[in-house]
Amino acid sequence: MASIEFRNVCKSFGTVKAVVDASFKVEDNAFFCLFGPPLSGKTTILRLILGLETPDSGEILIDGKPALGVAERNVAMVFQNLALFPHMTARDNIRFPLVERRQPEAQIAPRVASVAEKLHITHILHKHPGQLSGGERQRVAIARALVRDPAAYLMDDPISALDARLREEARVELKRIQREAGRTLVYVTHDQEEAMSVADQMAVLDQGRIVQIGTPSELYDRPQTPYVARLLGSPPMNLSTSGAFGPGQVGIRPEDLTVTQSDTGAALITGVEPLGGYTVLTLAQGPETFRALLRGQPEVSPGTRATLSATKTHPFTADGHRQTGA
Amino acid sequence: MTRAILRTLAILAALAVTLIPILWMVSMAFKPPSEWQAAGEALTWVPRAPTLDNFRYLFGQGGSDLIATLDRTAVKPILSSLLSASVGTLIAMTCGTAAAYGLSRFGSGANLPLALIQLRLFPPMAVMIPVMMMWAFLGLMDTWFGLALVYGIVTLPFAFWLMKTFFDDMPKEIEEAALVEGCTRWRVFTRVTLPMMAAPLAAASLFVFILNWSDYLIALLLTTREWVTIPVYMASLSSSMTGQLYGAKAALGLIAAVPPVVLGVLIQKHLVRGLTFGALKQ
Repeated sequence: MASIEFRNVCKSFGTVKAVVDASFKVEDNAFFCLFGPPLSGKTTILRLILGLETPDSGEILIDGKPALGVAERNVAMVFQNLALFPHMTARDNIRFPLVERRQPEAQIAPRVASVAEKLHITHILHKHPGQLSGGERQRVAIARALVRDPAAYLMDDPISALDARLREEARVELKRIQREAGRTLVYVTHDQEEAMSVADQMAVLDQGRIVQIGTPSELYDRPQTPYVARLLGSPPMNLSTSGAFGPGQVGIRPEDLTVTQSDTGAALITGVEPLGGYTVLTLAQGPETFRALLRGQPEVSPGTRATLSATKTHPFTADGHRQTGA
Repeated sequence: MTRAILRTLAILAALAVTLIPILWMVSMAFKPPSEWQAAGEALTWVPRAPTLDNFRYLFGQGGSDLIATLDRTAVKPILSSLLSASVGTLIAMTCGTAAAYGLSRFGSGANLPLALIQLRLFPPMAVMIPVMMMWAFLGLMDTWFGLALVYGIVTLPFAFWLMKTFFDDMPKEIEEAALVEGCTRWRVFTRVTLPMMAAPLAAASLFVFILNWSDYLIALLLTTREWVTIPVYMASLSSSMTGQLYGAKAALGLIAAVPPVVLGVLIQKHLVRGLTFGALKQ
């Protein structure tokens, strides 16, 4: 129900520049992902939206209006470490935002019940956080954010503590919850797969700077810098400067490399990692190393030679920008 | 194997050093004068004729042919100790907790916390005489509240430093979550921070109380007659005929051990429960 807009926002902590000249707009009802390596400024941006930090310069607009104090902003947050209240039961944790906002008791109970049901935690509401598993705690923390009707939800890597399989389930569920709630969600993650799978729009951060904003497929298909190109996709994009694939710096995604086995080929296969549905090859060509992603489990062995060709390339200029027109 | 034996021996030695004197005190508290006097019979671990006479004596019921009746009973000193130690603890914990929270959340630099601990750098003797003069001027000499005030001031650094460590260790996100969910700063403190601090508060209070409860020097200097505390009163338990009244001292020592033990048992539940157990992911 709200858009969030940053206009030239800067924030430093001492000499550390946490956020540098950030400008972006999160559209109403969008699932917006902030993605970047650790310490790239993602959490600081969330804290700026919450009002827990004040920008050194620039403006933050919520719904087109300048942002107010912390309690009046009407945004709900799931903290990275969840920050449940350990001395309260799960039920009291979830009730907390409504009680503090003086909602009548007649509205609180049904609201808590419906959120608990949606997150499948009705049976653990009487327990304290200390008695819950990691996954259950995460659900309680999300329920505490969902229980009221805020303008936007903010989530700081809330599912990073779960193991891989649970994380996959959780992110599908988050996407569903966001769609059902029909609210803006700003989501921080350092996991490129997670970001790509849930986001409508995502922003990639590098040392406090937003380097590119777009839909996940835009960012994947047309990365503006080698940095963005290599953050998205696994194995990361190959970057060649030897001229074998064109002038300047050329990026080739592993799945865009075609490997043709040939005794006179310029590339030497140095590694083969069969991963079931696909196989990752490591190849050395001249001074450079390439990784190629092949479908299925082709019969290749390390030590043999091959020819490399690219079906699609990403040409970058010498100073690290995408060549115009590419 | 040798390690295990040495370990057991070390533990036994430590236990002997701490427990034997306490057990001896317990035994002595129930012995009649003839069993603890130098001129009496041989010393035994178990009283041959157990009696409550020492306790009766402390509370003014009769002496014996050997000891003159006390001119003051133990009632007033016990009351004095209870009042001054608990009010002193209340002062130290209230001010210390407030200061610790403020400095932990909003303070900057390390100077102020260090300045507080510097109060303890002076030997108490060096400051107690000036305090005596001030207290005499203010009319606080030989009053329980004058004593309580000094106890509060003297133990404040301990209360402050203990609580500051606990506040520093508390994850700030928990308070921020409450702020985001609509609490004012004051509500955050009363609804979230203080309840979470129940265990540390209980532990720090017990520590401060024991410090105040066992003080001798300050009470000796600031009280003279009306409001002497248990330790000062205990030192005065002697008679010109028989010297030190060991039986009565032991009985009083036993009484003096009761409040800290009772408090310790009462808050034990809090002491063993973890501080922020379950608040965070891991």
